[in-house]
Amino acid sequence: MKLLLLLALAAYAPQHAGTPITPELEAKAHTIGKTIRCAVCQGLSVADSPSPMAQSMMDRVRELVTEGKSEAEIHAYFVERYGEWILLEPKAEGFNLIVWVLPFVFVGLGLAVIARNTAVSEDARQAGPAPEAADDPYLKAVRDRVEKS
Amino acid sequence: MKINWSLVITGLVLAAALAWVLGKGFGRDPHEVPFMLTGKPAPAFTLERLDGAKGEAKLADFAGKPLILNFWSTWCGPCKIEHPVIEWGFGKFGDRVQFVGVVYQDSRENVDAFLRESPPKYAMLFDENGRAAVDYGLAGVPETYFITKDGKIRYKHVGPLDPSRLTQEIRALLEDAPK
Repeated sequence: MKLLLLLALAAYAPQHAGTPITPELEAKAHTIGKTIRCAVCQGLSVADSPSPMAQSMMDRVRELVTEGKSEAEIHAYFVERYGEWILLEPKAEGFNLIVWVLPFVFVGLGLAVIARNTAVSEDARQAGPAPEAADDPYLKAVRDRVEKS
Repeated sequence: MKINWSLVITGLVLAAALAWVLGKGFGRDPHEVPFMLTGKPAPAFTLERLDGAKGEAKLADFAGKPLILNFWSTWCGPCKIEHPVIEWGFGKFGDRVQFVGVVYQDSRENVDAFLRESPPKYAMLFDENGRAAVDYGLAGVPETYFITKDGKIRYKHVGPLDPSRLTQEIRALLEDAPK
């Protein structure tokens, strides 16, 4: 299956690249290309977009992969030119941590509120009716009438 | 009912942080592509010449004078509208500023046909696969880079230039005024 995928990807390799690259490098370039935003598209990666700009960017990814650059180095190359905006998934560091952490904080907070309210109502159930409710003359009158009828 | 103020304040702080993150995201123009090379050295390139001079040209060949690097294509309508403006700029400022056109991702036949009809008055280079374009953080054509005489990108103009904007940017480039 993996071999079939590599062969399928390799079929597209020499289309835009100046020099054909091996199926392994093409697969790596494709994986990295999936994480880089096409500068002229709406939410598409350079690996998925057919636009000339995306093709140029994908060719550059292929060249950098062929030069032996790592995914981090290739990301750094594009960030240096287009800013962090160019990465489809922001890095989980610095200010970006808010985006990653905040949903978990909200979920945790919600669970804490639910747990607290559940514990309070359980305590109330075990403690029986509130003393003021037991002494309420109106409720006492209602109970007496119900018992008599 | 007793209010748990610590819980309320925590919730408000988190909601404010979320609102700030969303505001930051929604506050920017979604069509604007960030450009981070302003003030940084212009990336080196080696590109084929199309202007009659044989061989290749490098960025270093244009050192010593401010440089205007205009990326364009024959398939780009606004580029054709801009072309006479750049030629006008070359006629007016060509003795003090260097003009270089870079044809971006185009077919050789189309470029040759265009240049036969309108022979280039300034250096014209061919970036067939768009490598130089990506090195320069291009986001489309036409885009024009104003490069200082010491090789730093002072400003990138997105879209077609008009004569007044071109004049304004060239004057600022000649004065080397901070952007």
